[in-house]
Amino acid sequence: MNNLSNLPNSDGFFGEYGGKFVPETLMHALKELDETYSKLKNNPKFIEEIDQDLVQFVGRPSPLYFAKRLTNHYSGPQIWLKREDLNHTGAHKINNTVGQILLAKAMGKKRIIAETGAGQHGVATATVAARLGLECHIYMGAKDVERQSLNVYRIKLLGAEVHAVDSGTATLKDALNEAMRDWVTNIEDTYYIIGSVTGPHPYPMIVRDFNAIVGRELRKQSIEQFSQYPDAIIACVGGGSNAMGIFYPFLEESNVELIGVEAAGSGLMSGKHAAPLNDGEPGILHGAKSYLMQDENGQVIDTHSVSAGLDYPGVGPEHSNLKDSGRANYIAVDDKEVIDSFHLITKLEGIMPALETAHAFAALDHIAKNYTSNQHIVINVSGRGDKDINTVATMDGISLD
Amino acid sequence: MEYPLTRLDEKILSLKNASKKALVAYLVAGDPDLDSTLELMHGFVDAGVDILEVGVPFTDPIAEGPIIQAAHDRALKNNTSLTKIFKLVKKFREKNVDTPVILMGYINTFLANIKALEESYVSGSDAVLIVDIPGESDLKNIGIKNTNLASISLIAPTTSKDRISKICDNSSGFIYYVTLRGVTGSSNLNISEAESNINFIRSQTSLPVFAGFGIKTPDDASSLSKLSDGVVIGSSLVEMINNHSRKKEFKKIYNYLNEISKAISL
Ligand SMILES: Cc1ncc(COP(=O)(O)O)c(C=O)c1O
Repeated sequence: MNNLSNLPNSDGFFGEYGGKFVPETLMHALKELDETYSKLKNNPKFIEEIDQDLVQFVGRPSPLYFAKRLTNHYSGPQIWLKREDLNHTGAHKINNTVGQILLAKAMGKKRIIAETGAGQHGVATATVAARLGLECHIYMGAKDVERQSLNVYRIKLLGAEVHAVDSGTATLKDALNEAMRDWVTNIEDTYYIIGSVTGPHPYPMIVRDFNAIVGRELRKQSIEQFSQYPDAIIACVGGGSNAMGIFYPFLEESNVELIGVEAAGSGLMSGKHAAPLNDGEPGILHGAKSYLMQDENGQVIDTHSVSAGLDYPGVGPEHSNLKDSGRANYIAVDDKEVIDSFHLITKLEGIMPALETAHAFAALDHIAKNYTSNQHIVINVSGRGDKDINTVATMDGISLD
Repeated sequence: MEYPLTRLDEKILSLKNASKKALVAYLVAGDPDLDSTLELMHGFVDAGVDILEVGVPFTDPIAEGPIIQAAHDRALKNNTSLTKIFKLVKKFREKNVDTPVILMGYINTFLANIKALEESYVSGSDAVLIVDIPGESDLKNIGIKNTNLASISLIAPTTSKDRISKICDNSSGFIYYVTLRGVTGSSNLNISEAESNINFIRSQTSLPVFAGFGIKTPDDASSLSKLSDGVVIGSSLVEMINNHSRKKEFKKIYNYLNEISKAISL
């Protein structure tokens, strides 16, 4: 498999996917961002500053942990957990925001905006903005404001303003629409921190690069702890940033299987899901060409998932290319499997995963049987589940009031 | 001329010969319903509109402010599709053969109907204005081949000078200058910036330059028409259409357009 890691090309394409499909007002800002990033990414002082933040503020490296009881439960491969849930603010999202806020600072931007679904990216953005004393606005679908109310309050405590978005389906995609509209309006002084490997070029590349620390650490840790690279890596896929971050440093290691897990919601056959790579067609949304859930008229279809962070009709363009090239495989698990998996992991390992992350765990039911006891599977534990307690209680028919 | 002039070329030529500024009016197809859209299109022309811009509704119109977003939502609730819009234009042509019709929308809906789009010129559509493609793109390179449709591009206050000339090279019909930083219907018009930018665009192309986004009053229209070759009215019309859609009594809208038309011919 050659050269998958040299993408995107200078126009922002991963094969046929990606690009910059945005209103004209944004084109100049994207070019500026691209130039700033190209200049800084190899600058030793910039790298040192990020590394220091990752160690001292985020708490990296995150451990690679052997999940003994889970391994016994499946009595197949050795199951290891890459513990992004232990990062400051509780998810992988902070890896991206500590990097992008330094780009914002370098560009002299005074105002930060972001979209969020589960609220983890909103929290991670509000956190780095607070640290630099920058004005911060977070767009969030009204439906998500409700189901992720703990994170909404955290964002407010951090001094950011939360804008509930009522338009469309009132979820992540609509939050993204509204953030783009804010950006078009306040283009001169505003930096938009996109929270996944989605959006127009150069965002899918930048967000991937900042999250790739996860995969780089795993290369080292896996050799140290079990003397080889993993046989398979599993990650959940919403926009796809935690997956891309852990996959990317392994793209050229063709013996390492890469498995992305999408949200099947009420089931792939029901049509009520959020799994564009499993059941979508290429299309263009939010600035990039990628697999998309759409109808025959090119209208974007409503998505369904118990997990706010995966409730998105599109996916990062690099994943579309990895799918078509066959380098990664994408499966989907439904809401019920996810809740079951949440309980299983919590009881067996004393680790309460985010519902997004529980999708990656639920994949074990499908694939663990394909591996033997001398093989190693790594699950990217993208975040912790505190934010989802209300949702889980509701699903279990329990009232917390 | 080797090629026969298109309807859009002819309209632009005749405006130029008469030293007239163009009045371009936007509405969303299917809001409140397609029959009303047809009636409004004819009504607009009778009220002095030179070119019609028909909005193709999309679930995620990121360049639109709240007024036009809501209109897209209403139109989609009525199941308005691009295929139905092509039929609408064909019907419009039964009574009107010289008012150009521009389809304005988002790339994903056009790509989903590519074959019908390529044939739409024959049934009376004249141009596309695709909001979310880079202005310098050739339609052929994004998958829209074999079309006689003109491609109208937007130029924004933030567009760099080197891209302005590239965009002009790849455009036909006219250049649409976006008069503000923001979404449709905003109210932060910047007239002096528009003047210097439009002058620069004119130094790069012989195509006429129309100004739009945020133009609401006859005064706005009048000041911008003095700097440009025409003005586009959008959100304020869409808002009025919605206000009058219950009784379908659109006379007030035509009066408003009439006022704008007078204001730009002074
Ligand atoms: C814990 C966690 N995992 C995964 C995701 C999904 O995002 P991505 O696919 O970009 O990793 C989110 C998004 O909110 C999240 O909070």
